[in-house]
Amino acid sequence: MVNIASTQQEINFRLKSAPEYREASLAGLLSLLVAAILLLNAIWVEGNSFQPLLLIIGGSYLFFAVIQLVIWFFIRRNLLHHGHITPAVRRSGYLLLPAILVANVFVVIAGSQLIKRSKSTAYTLAVYTLLSTILTFAVSALNTLKPYVADYFLIGMALLLICAIFQLVSLLLLAKYKQEDFLPRWMYVVAAILIATAATGNVFALFLGIMLIAKIRNQGYTSGTRFGEIFEKLARSMTSMLGLLFVSFLVTLAITSMLTFDSSLAIDNNYSAILQQPSAMYPLGTDNFGRDLFSRIIMGARISLLVGVLTTVIPLIIGGLLGAISGYYGKHTDNIIMRALDILYAIPGILLAIAIIAAFGAGIFNLIIALSIGSIPTYARIMRANVLQVSSLEYVQAASAIGSSDRLILFRHILPNTVAPMIVQSTLTIGTAVISTSSLSFLGLGVEPHIPEWGNILKLGSAYLETHPYTAIYPGLAIILLVLAFNFLGDGLRDALDPKLN
Amino acid sequence: MTGQVALHQDSIADKAVSIYKKMLRHPTYKWLLLILGLPLSIILIPIFRYFSAKSGYARLKESTVQELTQSGLPAQLLQEAREQVRRKHQFFGQSVNEKALEQEAKAWADTKFSNAVDQRMQLQQHTAEPFMFEHAFQWFIMHPARFALSIIIAFPMYVLMLIYSNPYVKYIIERLVMAVLVILGVSVLVFTILYISPMDPASNLLGETATEEQIASFNQLYGLDQPYLVQLWDTLKGIVTLDLGKSFAGNELVSTAIANKFPITLTLTVIATILAVIIALPIGIISATKPNSVFDYSFMFIALLGLSIPNFWLGLIFILNFSIKLSWLPATYSPGNWMSAIMPVVVLGTALMASVARMTRSSMLEVIHEDYIITARAKGLKSRHVLWKHAIGNALIPIITVIGLLFGSMLGGAAVTEKVFNISGIGSYIVDRQFIPDIPSIMGGVVYTAITISIVNVIVDLLYAFLDPRIRSKMKQY
Repeated sequence: MVNIASTQQEINFRLKSAPEYREASLAGLLSLLVAAILLLNAIWVEGNSFQPLLLIIGGSYLFFAVIQLVIWFFIRRNLLHHGHITPAVRRSGYLLLPAILVANVFVVIAGSQLIKRSKSTAYTLAVYTLLSTILTFAVSALNTLKPYVADYFLIGMALLLICAIFQLVSLLLLAKYKQEDFLPRWMYVVAAILIATAATGNVFALFLGIMLIAKIRNQGYTSGTRFGEIFEKLARSMTSMLGLLFVSFLVTLAITSMLTFDSSLAIDNNYSAILQQPSAMYPLGTDNFGRDLFSRIIMGARISLLVGVLTTVIPLIIGGLLGAISGYYGKHTDNIIMRALDILYAIPGILLAIAIIAAFGAGIFNLIIALSIGSIPTYARIMRANVLQVSSLEYVQAASAIGSSDRLILFRHILPNTVAPMIVQSTLTIGTAVISTSSLSFLGLGVEPHIPEWGNILKLGSAYLETHPYTAIYPGLAIILLVLAFNFLGDGLRDALDPKLN
Repeated sequence: MTGQVALHQDSIADKAVSIYKKMLRHPTYKWLLLILGLPLSIILIPIFRYFSAKSGYARLKESTVQELTQSGLPAQLLQEAREQVRRKHQFFGQSVNEKALEQEAKAWADTKFSNAVDQRMQLQQHTAEPFMFEHAFQWFIMHPARFALSIIIAFPMYVLMLIYSNPYVKYIIERLVMAVLVILGVSVLVFTILYISPMDPASNLLGETATEEQIASFNQLYGLDQPYLVQLWDTLKGIVTLDLGKSFAGNELVSTAIANKFPITLTLTVIATILAVIIALPIGIISATKPNSVFDYSFMFIALLGLSIPNFWLGLIFILNFSIKLSWLPATYSPGNWMSAIMPVVVLGTALMASVARMTRSSMLEVIHEDYIITARAKGLKSRHVLWKHAIGNALIPIITVIGLLFGSMLGGAAVTEKVFNISGIGSYIVDRQFIPDIPSIMGGVVYTAITISIVNVIVDLLYAFLDPRIRSKMKQY
């Protein structure tokens, strides 16, 4: 049946109605971008022993980008002519799956979304779960090119492989069910195994497992949980899912690197391999002490993630509590707390951190405290505004009318309804915290210089900018990617949690 | 002629009374009023006592209370209240001891009794009003001679009343007082942090070999042996009089050093802010007018990228490309050479540019979907006219606040950029001094930066209070 769109409005509507179209264009453009960066690097940067490999990977990115764009064209024509995507075009999605071999996740995701006509959120999450594990496995596998590997390397790799197999099986199982289908009870086992694989740090596996359990228990009695609803919305935005994928990948890598990466390569000096160019043995080269930059950056992820999360969680709890008390009790309590926090708010975060570190000395503990204190007022203000809004609602009045105590009302009835904006804010500030941490380390005020933290690695590398620029470029790229991932995730979460859009 | 003067005076006195009455209702202003006009207040108190004892209201109230007490109302109310309180606790299943129960019942009965008295007095249709403190004031200034006397003895109070009478002046003064209090708090906080520091600047500066006497004389020279409050007072005095003494290292005057370095940082950040706003505003506006277009997506992606790039990395990449590889721009900043300022300004402005572009877009999108924009469209205005005349003004309001806040964090975070480009600004000055730690230098650097930021925020607040008609009308109301 041919049903051609006539007006511009209808064309726009049809194109917008299919998420596959949007995903295909995004994946195609991103692949082209990465291909361009890789190929330009291969051509321009001279003396790089990686040139042939870069050319091959860049070429294959370009190849898959072209396939993706051809499919994109067919999807567009389908939508304009029929108003839906035909099964033949959907089957062409299988062509995109081999892109996993060159780690082109954009195209793989677009392909996996194209193959199935009606996808459940669980299916989408399962794809990302598997991708996260596969990426970690691939990056850890680069260690086999080194002269020696860590003692537990094989165990770690085997664990990752087992996880990947379980996740693949659950992906295939979940692919059979549609969003509205009831899940059978034996899916509990799948959910439990998925949550167990989350021990590697795979955030998606954890969320998927929790979502499955909630869904099985629900059995269609209600319209679904709030948690599931948020993920349903989040799964529709490819950029925020890509952000979460990178975060999950990095967390998994940070955890499994304890088994799969040899810390001596990152920490011990090796004067026979000083300032080496990138090679198979040292994928990102070595620094002025002959330490492998690749291992150092992977190990630095632990510190950066830890400091980033802690400097978000601590002010979240303290600021949240102060803001909640201030907003709930009002009057003098409110005045005193908020005026005191105004003083903190008047000093810029970095400057306050510098003053605190000047007083108590540089170190990871002082750094966390210094950065946490600076962001307490922001959280307190957001929380106070939320609590003020929620405490004027009828159900809170009802709770106080039946004689509930203030503490019960505050913690049981008000706080759970003010979490959403706090989550969005904290996702967005983890990125800022990562930048602040590395900035302070760069100034020599952060993490102790011997610990491989991204800012420290960059500081060392900046001295060799003229001769060995890659020592400063790669850790910077790691910081940018992590911050970008958190920002994308935060933006997506804000859209998913925004009551205006509900 | 005399009649006119009297009339004129009358209206001033009336106005003064109404302002006085309003201010007495406000908890903070009440005390300020009484204290600033202390001589007058002292005179007014016996007058108030005398009149309120004489007024019919007090006597009437007394007789009503007596009457009701004789009728046995209090005992009856207490009995009722006791029963109600007991039933209430029974309903909630709470167990309360007798004493607390009695207390609650008593409080309840008292409130009810005073309500009953009021009601009774209203029923008797006596129009007598209670004699309040402002009536004493009114009586006092009714006579021109006493009015003149009151102005002489309580001049500060009248100045305060004058400020209070104009909502704009009142808002400005209140905002300034808040800023001064915040700056005071910042000074105390930073000083306290540095005071409780376990670091010992004396032994850090004099070296391992320093004797006890040398350290003691160092501490005495810089007043470090004084108690906390004395040091705090000296520091606060130093901040106000722009004289923080000499720095520990280099033996230079802290204020001179800061006066030399601060303008460099301020100039760079101001230029960066202006540049960023000029670039970011059009981008945000165009993105909002064409949401979800290729232009929108790509610029918002670039903005998010700009938010995610650490300043120092961007600076290093700029130096690598434009100074080392291409040799277009000098790698280090020198105040006279404007070419050398290009890279620092761009690096400083990146994050602000990104935030402002994103903020402009979301603020514009919100405004565009308001009803009044639809009305403007419906009455047939051109979309360009709607955009520039009706939408942008309102969309700008939150953006101005954001720019003010971001300017502050830019000024505070300038240390990193200054280190990369070797700029001798205030940020790198503080960082250089923190290893010792050179307390006067850090103190001065942090506090004067915070003061500048507070001033900028005050200006932004005032600006936007006068630009936004909604805030103007709110200001008049309270």
